[in-house]
Amino acid sequence: MKKWIMIVMLCCGVLMGCSEKTYEPRDIISETDVCKICNMSIVHNAYAGQIALKNGDYEIFDDIGCLMEYIKANGEDEIGAAYIKDAAKNEWIDVFKAVYVYNKDYWTPMNYGVVALDSKEAAQEWMTTEGEGQLLAYKDLHDFKWGIHK
Amino acid sequence: MKKIGFTLLFFLFMSQTVHADFDVQEAINVAKPGKVVHIPAGRYQGNFIVTKPITLQGEEGTELIGERDNPTLRIENTANVTVENITLSGKNKAIVASTVDGLELRKLQIKDVHTGVHIQSSKNVHIHDINVTGIEGHYSQKGNGVAVFKGEDITIEGNTIEQVQDGIYIEEVKHIVVQRNKVTSGRYGTHFMYTSDAEALFNTYDQNVTGLMIMMTTNIFLENNIVANHFDFNGYGMLLYDVQQAKIKHNTIKNNRTGVAMQKSANIQIETNDFQMNQTAIEGTKVSDDTMASRNNFTGNILTARSDKQGFQLVSNYYDDYSGIDLKDNGIGDIPYVAVSSFGQWMVRQPVYQYFVASPSVILLTSLDQQINKIEKNMLVDNTPKLAMKHENEKNKMNVVQMLLGLFLTLSSLWLWKRGITE
Repeated sequence: MKKWIMIVMLCCGVLMGCSEKTYEPRDIISETDVCKICNMSIVHNAYAGQIALKNGDYEIFDDIGCLMEYIKANGEDEIGAAYIKDAAKNEWIDVFKAVYVYNKDYWTPMNYGVVALDSKEAAQEWMTTEGEGQLLAYKDLHDFKWGIHK
Repeated sequence: MKKIGFTLLFFLFMSQTVHADFDVQEAINVAKPGKVVHIPAGRYQGNFIVTKPITLQGEEGTELIGERDNPTLRIENTANVTVENITLSGKNKAIVASTVDGLELRKLQIKDVHTGVHIQSSKNVHIHDINVTGIEGHYSQKGNGVAVFKGEDITIEGNTIEQVQDGIYIEEVKHIVVQRNKVTSGRYGTHFMYTSDAEALFNTYDQNVTGLMIMMTTNIFLENNIVANHFDFNGYGMLLYDVQQAKIKHNTIKNNRTGVAMQKSANIQIETNDFQMNQTAIEGTKVSDDTMASRNNFTGNILTARSDKQGFQLVSNYYDDYSGIDLKDNGIGDIPYVAVSSFGQWMVRQPVYQYFVASPSVILLTSLDQQINKIEKNMLVDNTPKLAMKHENEKNKMNVVQMLLGLFLTLSSLWLWKRGITE
């Protein structure tokens, strides 16, 4: 009986080991972290982004525009998880599930005017205080024209 | 003794808190456009606002102290305003100017503030001879020394700025001159973003993270600046990101982690600069074919140049580690200088490798590179390396007096010798 229990426990252990790896966001270190794309140091944490790669490395970005430029250049295959700061709550949220609002007059570190929020309701609330904007989803960011807009 | 102590403490305390009777805001309110409002010496607490064309003139000892988180002085929707000879302090911003056509800020002392001067949507602005000293702490917790957003025809000159995030921050400005400023102990000395027709001349940038940070900018001229001691892990003397058309001339770039770095940029001309004792003098990634470093002097740098596969042009520079000869005697080495270094290329991909830069294995690798790379023809090759920083052709000169004297001495010696052996 003991032998069977041991075998079952061993199998459970192996299965747990094979289960999907989780990728947690890490804290920004303003002294050393710079944007992977534009090299700016990360001092405005409320707009920062990060990608946890499957190999365990992290790439840090100062703006969602730089994060999207990285994805455009390198694809999504090696990405374990991607996070962006919720502009209202200053908390990490999933890049792929976030709701984005664009207004050319919103200030962001690269001045692209796109901020991330965790829900449509939060986005609506954001717009009532910060000014109307255009709602975007992650898929819209691929075709978005990054840059300042007159 | 105790009484004397209390008396001294009383005066010390009172001197910090006594405020002058003069009502600054009332004086501003009643002043006619074009008039000078003279503010006598004293400490004035409040948040002041100017909305008409006047001059605010202080004297030695005039200090405006901002209350709460509001700016100490706001200048809004007006023209031709001058503020001079005043000390400003406060918790947040010292001066905020919005939509002003014609603004002069001169001889101001700004201290213990989050942000010194913040200007937006303004034109014909002249900021000169002001000192900004930020608060203690890490630059991520501070604002900028002088920041200009969306402006036109701006001149920022002769200012001293220290302990802020970006000494001078420029965003979306057309035609700006930044000259003779000194910026130390900040994140970026001067930070240009989305700017066109810019000049940075005769500035000194020392011990910031990066001296000049230039991003998404078109047509910029950087001349006669001293950019030194930017040696942090992410430090650069100058970093150009997505810059179109830049001329970098006559600058002294020394003791930086990387002297000049160019990324995603086009038409960059780096001429007649002195690169001294940098870890890497020039770095280029994704730069256009017309990017060129010519007639510069490279002395005491660990790596002269590194790049991705695209490389950039090196033309007629002086390299202190060049070992060629000049049989033609034209000041140009007879064999090309090859700056390609395996380790340099690795360092571009993994900046953390910089910590091995002078290790024995890297020195050995670099020596091997120098032998192997002699066949390199295209990337980071200077076909006309200069042999001296300043080449001067010495003509054969004849000194007749010296020649006659030498001849006389030789003949005399021969005569004495002959006489000696015949006697």
